[in-house]
Amino acid sequence: MAAGLESIKALVVEDNTHMRSLLRALLNTLGVKDVGEAIHGQAALDILRERKIDLVLTDLAMGPMDGLELTRHLRNDANSPNPFVPIIMITGHTEKYRVEAARDAGVTEILAKPVTAHNLFARITEILERPRAFVRCDSYFGPDRRRHQEADMHTGPWRRADDLQEAEVR
Amino acid sequence: MSKKRLPPSGAQFIEPDAYPQILSKPAAARALLTLRSAETAAKAQAAMEAAVPPMRAAILGYVEEMEAAAHDMKKLFAIVHEIRGFAETAGMITTGRIAEILCRYMDDMERVGKPLDATIVALHASAIARAARAEDDDVRMGDKVAAELAALVARRLAEAH
Repeated sequence: MAAGLESIKALVVEDNTHMRSLLRALLNTLGVKDVGEAIHGQAALDILRERKIDLVLTDLAMGPMDGLELTRHLRNDANSPNPFVPIIMITGHTEKYRVEAARDAGVTEILAKPVTAHNLFARITEILERPRAFVRCDSYFGPDRRRHQEADMHTGPWRRADDLQEAEVR
Repeated sequence: MSKKRLPPSGAQFIEPDAYPQILSKPAAARALLTLRSAETAAKAQAAMEAAVPPMRAAILGYVEEMEAAAHDMKKLFAIVHEIRGFAETAGMITTGRIAEILCRYMDDMERVGKPLDATIVALHASAIARAARAEDDDVRMGDKVAAELAALVARRLAEAH
């Protein structure tokens, strides 16, 4: 039988000890036993360079390196240990501009505080069930940010060259 | 009809099959069963409940820090943000709600470059402390106080914008 969640190596990056403990406990309930912990982005990078990590759960606001900077390092650094690693950003800062900043840094999922088991598991489910394509361009590397436009995609008529090309794919 | 979309001009699309996934497809299918199982939900609920007592104690510690930082707005914002972050997880619903209102107020005023009204901050800090220390949780005073503070902040933010 294929190994499931018990084979995953996770890393929790969070400066609050209680939140770290809670996230570890929730991952443990899924069977994830290998859970590393870091108190800020720089410490997380050190761990990521030393060992293979399959899933990163990171807070946004931490010092000296916050979750956005960690994400940008992971996605864009030439020496990144894993540019494709799924990153769930956990934050109490849910203002639109902050969410957009997290998305533009390249996070895979955003989990708003207060953390619930249901919401955390839903994000992990999304990563496993609907893994996203990555996009690389001059200004961005990370998961395709357009997934929520899928439902109301324009069906034509098409005017621009890119649109026509897309229509042909359909 | 395929739903496949093309990347913007000049961009490269890397499909999920073309980069390493956390789990193979069979293993992911097995993992999804675990994620959706009643047994997992029950274990997770127990884990959440076990986290409540230390979190409540931590929030009471933050409240003391918040009161000591009454005139240091930057420090106060950081502490209130921590309270907002996990008060509700600790079952302190009103505490979390009031902290959320104060965080929104402080964040928005900073964004528009306007000074904070010390009275509004003090009112919220006092309400957070009172809610957090209410032994029977904070339900009795909760909704009304939070609603009044939210209305006050909404008015001040409307004036500031």
